[in-house]
Amino acid sequence: MKSSLVPFRFSLAALLLALTGCFAGEIRPILGLNPILAQSGNSFREPGLAMQWLVSLANDQGKERIEMIDLQRLRRVALPGINRIDAQPISVSVSADGQTVALIRQRADQTELLIYRRSSGALQRLELSPKGIPRRVSLDGTGRVLAVQVSRGGSWDVDIIRL
Amino acid sequence: MSFKNNLTKIIYGITLLGLWSCSPRIDRLPGDFSARSQKDPALSGNGQKLALIVDQNGRPTVQLRDLRNGQILQLRHLSRYQPHSSPSLSWNARYLAVIAQQGNRRLAIIEDLLTGRSYQMTIPGARVPVRLSLSPDASKLAFQLAQKGKWRIELFDLTNKIDLDQPTLTSPGASSAINQ
Repeated sequence: MKSSLVPFRFSLAALLLALTGCFAGEIRPILGLNPILAQSGNSFREPGLAMQWLVSLANDQGKERIEMIDLQRLRRVALPGINRIDAQPISVSVSADGQTVALIRQRADQTELLIYRRSSGALQRLELSPKGIPRRVSLDGTGRVLAVQVSRGGSWDVDIIRL
Repeated sequence: MSFKNNLTKIIYGITLLGLWSCSPRIDRLPGDFSARSQKDPALSGNGQKLALIVDQNGRPTVQLRDLRNGQILQLRHLSRYQPHSSPSLSWNARYLAVIAQQGNRRLAIIEDLLTGRSYQMTIPGARVPVRLSLSPDASKLAFQLAQKGKWRIELFDLTNKIDLDQPTLTSPGASSAINQ
């Protein structure tokens, strides 16, 4: 009797697995990287991963700024001109090669959508049409397509911008 | 004099054409205008697919769209475990990662659209993920977590859990994006 239940239980388990998918379990932290992120005592949020790069919003004594980390060399990358003392970053995303950064920031009473190119250190402001307030941005790996969550007339839209 | 005038007009025309062709093209994603709520957009690395959070019967639910034809793609496992938040796609959109709800806990679920399998990822220390980001090749996952009253970002290795989704050279700009 007991032995006849074994194939039944096995097939039941297989069926459950097929229906629910797989349980990958606990994932392994990347040693060497996490201590760097924890080192400064700052608060980090809004992670954006590229191949070799991590962008995030770092809070240093109440002031947020955009920060990029080179995951291969395990060090911070300078982004001259991207952070302003009179601006609050809201969302950030990076292309796969780490050369192009898309960001949304609040400055005075304006919410701006910008593209930052590391090669030149130049910031380019993008205007939304029709007008709206950008809230969250995603840049594709090639750095040529942007998806932007925009507030318009009390609802949330997503705009696709091809640069 | 008239030659100069014509030349000026031609230069003016070319400048205008140049400016017009340089300005980015904006498309608004089609949606249900009676209850439009499209949030948390996340593009695939090749820019061809988009994951976003839409309101489905009052429940924030992840949706995957093909931007080339506007088609909504079926997800096998992620139609459950709502509310969803913070979707993220790999380069070819083989993998869709999202923060989901199972019972009373928040966890990350990765759906493999190639094999139809899904993977539930739990974080050591039973910590709660708030946002996530999948690397384009699906080798790493970054989590935003709360720890001692601060937001932390921690990185996790996926190479022993799922196959890579290597960027292909068929997508425009892929080779230059990868090789730098």
